[in-house]
Amino acid sequence: MDLHLHSAYELHHLFLSGKVSAEEIATHFLQRIEKLDPQLQSFLTVFPEKTLEKAKNLDQRRKKGEPLGKMAAVPVAIKDNMHIKGEITTCASKFLQNYRAPFSATAVRLMEEEDAFVIGKTNLDEFAMGSSNENSAFFSSKNPWDLSCSPGGSSGGSAAAVGGRLSLLATGSDTGGSIRQPASLCGVYGFKPTYGRVSRYGLVAFGSSLDQIGPIGTSCLDCAMMMETIGAFCKRDATSLNLPQESYLEDLPKDLKGKVIGVPWNFLELLGENELKRFKETIEKFKSLGATIEEVDLRLLKYSIAVYYILATAEASTNLARFDGIRFGQRSKEAKNLQEVYDLSRKEGFGREVKKRIMLGTYVLSSGFKHAYYQKAQKVRTLIIQAFEKAFESCDFIAIPTTVKSAFTLSSIADPLEMYLQDIFTISANLAGLPALSMPCGFDEENRPLGVQLLGPQLHDVQVLQNGYAFENAYPEFRKVSPLFSKEAL
Amino acid sequence: MKNLSTIDLERLEKLSRISCSSEEEEDILQSLQKVIEYMELLQEVDTEGDSPTSHVLGPLMQNILRKDVEEKSLSREEFFENVPDVVAGMVKVPPVLKGEE
Repeated sequence: MDLHLHSAYELHHLFLSGKVSAEEIATHFLQRIEKLDPQLQSFLTVFPEKTLEKAKNLDQRRKKGEPLGKMAAVPVAIKDNMHIKGEITTCASKFLQNYRAPFSATAVRLMEEEDAFVIGKTNLDEFAMGSSNENSAFFSSKNPWDLSCSPGGSSGGSAAAVGGRLSLLATGSDTGGSIRQPASLCGVYGFKPTYGRVSRYGLVAFGSSLDQIGPIGTSCLDCAMMMETIGAFCKRDATSLNLPQESYLEDLPKDLKGKVIGVPWNFLELLGENELKRFKETIEKFKSLGATIEEVDLRLLKYSIAVYYILATAEASTNLARFDGIRFGQRSKEAKNLQEVYDLSRKEGFGREVKKRIMLGTYVLSSGFKHAYYQKAQKVRTLIIQAFEKAFESCDFIAIPTTVKSAFTLSSIADPLEMYLQDIFTISANLAGLPALSMPCGFDEENRPLGVQLLGPQLHDVQVLQNGYAFENAYPEFRKVSPLFSKEAL
Repeated sequence: MKNLSTIDLERLEKLSRISCSSEEEEDILQSLQKVIEYMELLQEVDTEGDSPTSHVLGPLMQNILRKDVEEKSLSREEFFENVPDVVAGMVKVPPVLKGEE
């Protein structure tokens, strides 16, 4: 069977029409995980019993002609920083390795209500802090295109699982590129919605003014399908947008006629010669689909990394203060007094990158430095938002690469700053709260996938995904599955 | 430019309630130094008269108050499932005041 070569969207319709049973789908993907995940190491937990039980229930309901959810029989993997009631949420941290979630994240609950198969939980950089998956306290996931390469991060497990077609959809969370960068490196589609579009309730917080949950899928349609379900107002998230759910899958455009795409050429100097050439080829493809290309000035984005690592670590240092060893998670057995419960539990429970970021955030917020760093960064953030507003006066979307290069070899980046600079093209969408899609747009000399981003103004989530689909539909060769994982038989 | 001595690691450990192991200290200090130096880049941006952004939704976001009615929340049993040390339905912690044992 070649069920994994379909998109989630197609598979859902095959199930609805009775061509494939839910049990066949569930079994197929559970077997793929069992056989192939030892290489990819994308999952931290798998739920075979629950998935099969749900599948049988769905098959019965379909036979009886009962109503079925919008995501019925679609396998979805959940990044392990989102809660599923009764299951462990580790955040890939030793601190939470035994933490059992007492409630479900809103995004998870909504997908379960629409009959998706929540098939397992995926690996990540500890507390979503990292761009390579190497900061997981357990193991690093691998890239389905080259097992010696990183799948990217922090949602590396989710992107690897979808890239290897062990699941057709997965959730990611994106604070500075954590959905889009791994999606790009693994040759799949990743979408970060407008800030506030998807509820953060039940997502373990990293940088609260930046965090957003979104889909990683095998097509823009897969991402759209998940967005129709999870892009909903939630009273348990104070920054949830109180707007009606939107339809993504109607009136899909076939081309980009009449659309103006802005390109910030003066911000692309970081690209190597080859990468720039390939990006220009992608822009030509947008043109051939009818889009007009307009130059926009986003030179200010060169400050986005500095702004981000001040604001995100400041927010993380306060968010992670809750991990005190008292009420849940790691508590040091060595602690003899209350102070030591805090100091030693955090020492034992957190990995090095998490410690660095908490201390960096503490530094930029500490007295004497707050004005020079934190407040300065907040002001530059204002200027970056204004630069985007101005750019969108003359275009509908902005196109930039997702990453500077394709997937890198695991443990090849040792310098922390070099690792942080991996996110140079993704961070600004978080700083401005914009919807941003990363989609495959070709391969480099080593046959590793490359990605391009389409950014839209706030609330233009539907337009970004739909116009992304026009590109995807015109260039189906970029949706190719890695030859290591495309085989029909296991 | 700041130099290494301007980052007081001991003070940061205290403020952030994290003890670093001795093998981590050097690496953490160097990383922090490097990143903070990089952040100096922002000083060249003129932000005179610009206001800070703390959230991005602007006019889309307003203060929301909920009605003061009781709702079901997490039960005691569910809460205690994750507490590392429980005695008689209470969270147990080591002595807080000096001199007690």
